[in-house]
Amino acid sequence: MFVLVVGGGKVGYYLTKELIQSGHEVVLMEKDRARADQIADEIGSIVIPHDGCEGKYLGEAGANRADIVAAVTGDDEDNLVICQMAKHHFDVPRTIARVNNPKNEDLFKHLGVDELISPTRMILGSIEQDIPVHELLHLAGLGESELELIEAHLDAGSPAIGRSTGDLQMPEGCALFAVIRDGVAMPLRSDMTLREDDKVIAIGPEDCETLLKEQLIGASATES
Amino acid sequence: MPSPEQPPFRRAVVALNGGPTDERIVRLAAEVARHTKAELIGVHVVEINWTLPLDADVAGRSEDTQRVLDLAEAAAEEAHYKIEPVLLQARDVAAALVDEASERGADLLVVGLPYRTRFGGDFAIGRTVPYVLKNAPCAVWVVREPMGEVV
Repeated sequence: MFVLVVGGGKVGYYLTKELIQSGHEVVLMEKDRARADQIADEIGSIVIPHDGCEGKYLGEAGANRADIVAAVTGDDEDNLVICQMAKHHFDVPRTIARVNNPKNEDLFKHLGVDELISPTRMILGSIEQDIPVHELLHLAGLGESELELIEAHLDAGSPAIGRSTGDLQMPEGCALFAVIRDGVAMPLRSDMTLREDDKVIAIGPEDCETLLKEQLIGASATES
Repeated sequence: MPSPEQPPFRRAVVALNGGPTDERIVRLAAEVARHTKAELIGVHVVEINWTLPLDADVAGRSEDTQRVLDLAEAAAEEAHYKIEPVLLQARDVAAALVDEASERGADLLVVGLPYRTRFGGDFAIGRTVPYVLKNAPCAVWVVREPMGEVV
């Protein structure tokens, strides 16, 4: 597989090294000449010392035959431009962008970037797993659909405690399907009574979040 | 550093760039190699840009590349010696030369340096020679074209 990596920072550098070790054909674009030379000295003559935002250089790097373009610079705007050019000008089958500001994710999706990697979002998710925040926790997006995997931790104030799941009013398009109780995952049946400290796993679109929160976390938590 | 009794090299990779220095360096290497029966390998590297896969049939179809190797063989014959012609495709000429010298166990790499100037008139050494000097695993001879032969 031929992978074109744009951005020779830490992410691009290690990504390139890993891909080479896995036997892929890789070319790395880095606009900073000194940094490009430094990487080339270490991993060989696969570094193009030019700006991947410019179509001319993207073409010289072989975007026309790339299977994947991964834009991993530290600049969201650059990553978006690179992916858009790769997708629409060079017909690259798969584009992957690093998104530093989670607020830009929707824009990237809307403009046709195939896959988004948000380190900020990942770290945030990891922190939220360890710290009770009385909020719903977004575990992952499901492919290209609008659906998300959501976790709700039932604290003492949760209105769902003591009720069976069949009694809860679930928002349309949203389904509860598993509960983690005392570290054990089990399928959620409609007659199962929810307890304090249960973690309920749901699948649903992002816009069902408010109702889901009311049912599982409680209105007061929503307002806080 | 070889002692005075030892031959200066046993196996040399001679870099052929298709320029005016090719004949000069082949003849020079052949003259030295003839007395010690050292092996000569003439390597011409065709650089393949990233828009094409590395195994694209570029060099094999080019008459120019064959001419480079033919001229090198003819220059060696004039010096009553033989050179093994090798044609390579690579992303980078300098790296390919260094790799070839390493793989062949060469103890000498000979490169020609055409006398080129930039716009300001400053002598330009290019990027192949510095890379080879820095990374070659063996001795390197750089044969610079005389100023008077600049076209």
